[in-house]
Amino acid sequence: MKLRADIVQAYRDIHSWVGILCGLFLFVAFYAGSISMFEQPLQNWLTPATPLPSPVNIENTPELLQKALAEYPEAGRHYILVINPDRAQPARLMWPQDPTHRGHGPQDFMLAALSPDGKLVTAARRPSEIPFFIDQLHEQVGLPLPHTMARYFMGCVALAYFLALVSGIIAFLPALKKMLFAVRLNTGARKVWLDLHNLLGFFSLPFHCVIALTAAVFAFHEPVFTVQEKLFQSMQGVGQSAAHGHKAPENSKTRTEVAVVGKEMPLAPALLLATVQQQAPGFVADTLEYTAQRGKGKSGLVLRVAGHDARYPMRGATNGFAMVDPASGKILSTDYLPGHQSRGLAVLTAFFALHFGSYGGLPVRWGYYCLGVGGAFLFYTGNRLWILARIRREHSATTLSRQTRGTWVLSCLMTGCITGCMAGIALLFICAPFLPLGGTYGQASALYYAAFVLCMALAFSLGERLREPVLFCLAGLVNVAVAPVLLVSALFTGSVTLTGLCTAAITLLLGTFLLYSVKRSGCRIAV
Amino acid sequence: MSAFRLTNDQWLAKLMAAIVPGALLSLGCMAVLGLFCHASGDARSVSAQFLMWFAIVGWLALVGSCFLFRSGRRAWAMLGGGALVVWGLFVILAKVIMV
Repeated sequence: MKLRADIVQAYRDIHSWVGILCGLFLFVAFYAGSISMFEQPLQNWLTPATPLPSPVNIENTPELLQKALAEYPEAGRHYILVINPDRAQPARLMWPQDPTHRGHGPQDFMLAALSPDGKLVTAARRPSEIPFFIDQLHEQVGLPLPHTMARYFMGCVALAYFLALVSGIIAFLPALKKMLFAVRLNTGARKVWLDLHNLLGFFSLPFHCVIALTAAVFAFHEPVFTVQEKLFQSMQGVGQSAAHGHKAPENSKTRTEVAVVGKEMPLAPALLLATVQQQAPGFVADTLEYTAQRGKGKSGLVLRVAGHDARYPMRGATNGFAMVDPASGKILSTDYLPGHQSRGLAVLTAFFALHFGSYGGLPVRWGYYCLGVGGAFLFYTGNRLWILARIRREHSATTLSRQTRGTWVLSCLMTGCITGCMAGIALLFICAPFLPLGGTYGQASALYYAAFVLCMALAFSLGERLREPVLFCLAGLVNVAVAPVLLVSALFTGSVTLTGLCTAAITLLLGTFLLYSVKRSGCRIAV
Repeated sequence: MSAFRLTNDQWLAKLMAAIVPGALLSLGCMAVLGLFCHASGDARSVSAQFLMWFAIVGWLALVGSCFLFRSGRRAWAMLGGGALVVWGLFVILAKVIMV
């Protein structure tokens, strides 16, 4: 592949500048994102057990529902039946305390169960918010900004990221054949970083392209949809007002029908699940979400069955869903039902699933975890290269062995940001067992940003020789400390879970790696 | 072929050209395409979602390739001109369809 030398040079410059601009944000986004691949199991593990009686059988759900609705009529507006209750969703029946709350993330739920003598027992609570906080770190590239602002900022980072990918490909292409498998580990530090950067970047390129595209879509889809609405709906309004006029009486007819027929009892959940199972074999329902809506069907309820199917890509991060008729169990809309979508929607869903890793079940999630951590490491190597190249250029340009202010600021930012992010997240896992309710969003952000700011402050106040060893030691020690803390707390509470063990093992590994890298490069860092 | 050497001297002008008129151009292409496939503008419809992806991917492609323009002025002229043409086409087509 031969490209004009000036184009390659131009894109090489763009690559290094764009890379250094977005590298640190991307590091946080990828590191937190790889952890949020396991948001659900983490939430399940970090949420303390509830004192409620064990959930009723799925066959007895109608009895529970009847008693709950008699005591709490407002629950009828919006309630959720959980098929497999776990710690994060510990009751068979739950309803949000604020039915108007439509945002994502944990919210206060009323949980309902039946005591052995058949009495209704309720409790109000929300699951642990630490995993959600980590997911927000991922979505907002680590910045504590209001959600909308953070999303557009993330969009700009995604734009820069895409540009870095394109320019990286163009800059790397001419030398591809020569350099791809040549990892020169025993040469100078710069060459090692460069070869690792190239190797990692090349082999995770498809993943990075998908992530950059989808991230840009997540950030900017709203304004584009607004433009479409303005453009096409006004035209439809002129051209097809007749169609709208035709629709209106139909609506009013169903509304009067509801008033006349009154509320028909929805199908019992066990029966409903069997009916759905028949229509969509392989789809495993997780929740049945009922919402009261005027003029919808005979029962006045809309039912959304959320669930998963490891054989197909899913639209959401953990599930797809079907709209189901609550009275008959007939699937009304398969638009987002995995494996039953129309071709167009299936293609669109595939893009989302490629970002979320929501296909193929657990192995794919672990694969995405590795790709995410690998991506974070890629950005770290990129930043390292940038700083090494700057120092080298400055050394050769002047006889003074002092680096410029810009290089100094960037090396402080890089070390502070990376160690701050890793130490902050590890600190969350250390503190989680001791926080009531498994930690609220406020507590999580206070802990994380305290660690982050501390590392940043240390990075800027420590001298050149001490900065990296001290900070990497700190991040390594915090990570190593996660395992014993989790072990002790698990012994005290008597509940050892697979998620807890995995977290302990991974943080231990990461911490050891960080400490080892300090030990190994101790002589090399001191320039 | 002239001996033109590509540099990044006017990177800001080129980048801004890709971001502002480039966005208008890709939205304009989306609008014209939307007319041809009778898009309803409802964000839940398949056509609307494909058009959204088209617009954003197109925009990203422009941002990625804008540095190949010879100068910032040329980038603004080409992308701005393109946007004007596409939006003009949209207005004309929309009138034709409405009648």
